[in-house]
Amino acid sequence: MFDALALLLVCQLLGEVIHRLAHVPLPGAILGLLLLLLWLGLVRKERPKLGAVTGWLTAHITILFVPATVGLIDEGSVLTRYGIGIAVATIISSLLTMLVTVAVFRWALRFSSLPDERWEEEL
Amino acid sequence: MSALFSLPLFWIAVTVLVFEGAERISRATKRHPLAQPLMIAVPVLMLALHVTHTSYASYIQATDFIVFLLGPAVVGLAVPIWAQRKMIKRLALPLGLALAAGSLTAMISVGGLMWVMGAPHVLITSGLPRATTTAVAMALSEQLGGVPALTIVFVAISGMMGAMVALPMFNRMGLTDHRARGLAMGITAHGFGAARAYEDHPVAGAFASLGMALNAVVSALLAALLVLTGW
Repeated sequence: MFDALALLLVCQLLGEVIHRLAHVPLPGAILGLLLLLLWLGLVRKERPKLGAVTGWLTAHITILFVPATVGLIDEGSVLTRYGIGIAVATIISSLLTMLVTVAVFRWALRFSSLPDERWEEEL
Repeated sequence: MSALFSLPLFWIAVTVLVFEGAERISRATKRHPLAQPLMIAVPVLMLALHVTHTSYASYIQATDFIVFLLGPAVVGLAVPIWAQRKMIKRLALPLGLALAAGSLTAMISVGGLMWVMGAPHVLITSGLPRATTTAVAMALSEQLGGVPALTIVFVAISGMMGAMVALPMFNRMGLTDHRARGLAMGITAHGFGAARAYEDHPVAGAFASLGMALNAVVSALLAALLVLTGW
């Protein structure tokens, strides 16, 4: 349990260090993600505990958003003025993003080794 | 009494307690989309701040411990990416191109639309990471100079769109490829999209969580480019 948590924290810490010292404009946690990916590639072994810890965090992540969301208490004027605009822009952007993603993925599939639906048995 | 309201422990306890209550309501309504724990807990906590005359600044300082756990959660996104490395390798080109195109579309379209509406710079900035998973969106928003609370509004609407509109739209389009369906839902609607995709088909679910995790990285890179160009 604690080795998995330590791995996550050390990756994040190193990410923060790189972010601050090397002025890499990526958040420390994202650099930590990349470092963890590197570590998983370098040290190959089964890691059931890491999966358990990240699974637990993901399953209970909503509560971690609560304090930031309460910050809307200070944004009342922005929301009354732009609330509908935010909704409209986000809805249109969501539709566009899905259509573009699907179109590009389907188009680029022809260049891959799994162009059709045969892949399903291979999973 | 006011000394109590300045204790971090007090606000951490209240936040966990209120959230647990909201969780129970959500479960009792069989996870109705309008009874999401976040949407129930947040107004209750706002009321609590109001009643106790506590400023948001002192509340966010007190609950730092809760917010802190977002970091390890973001780092943990490496796990689903690593688990699907074989699929990533085999579909590297279509995945890479679709991610780049999807990520760019999400950012440019929401930013452009907010700009056309005359929104202030800080609001446009807050909307840019809307398609990423909430923890990442908050980090990117902060880095770009946005307001995480406003970002969460964009992220939540994105999630609801992905959960409610995506599948009916794909069915009407005649799109049957579960990979494409899942990927699109994960890229534009993060965890909400992934959850809905899993209900639809396991392959769609796997591609949605992959799309969500990879989009976090791609969007962070795009945000870094914005920072370097002096956003």
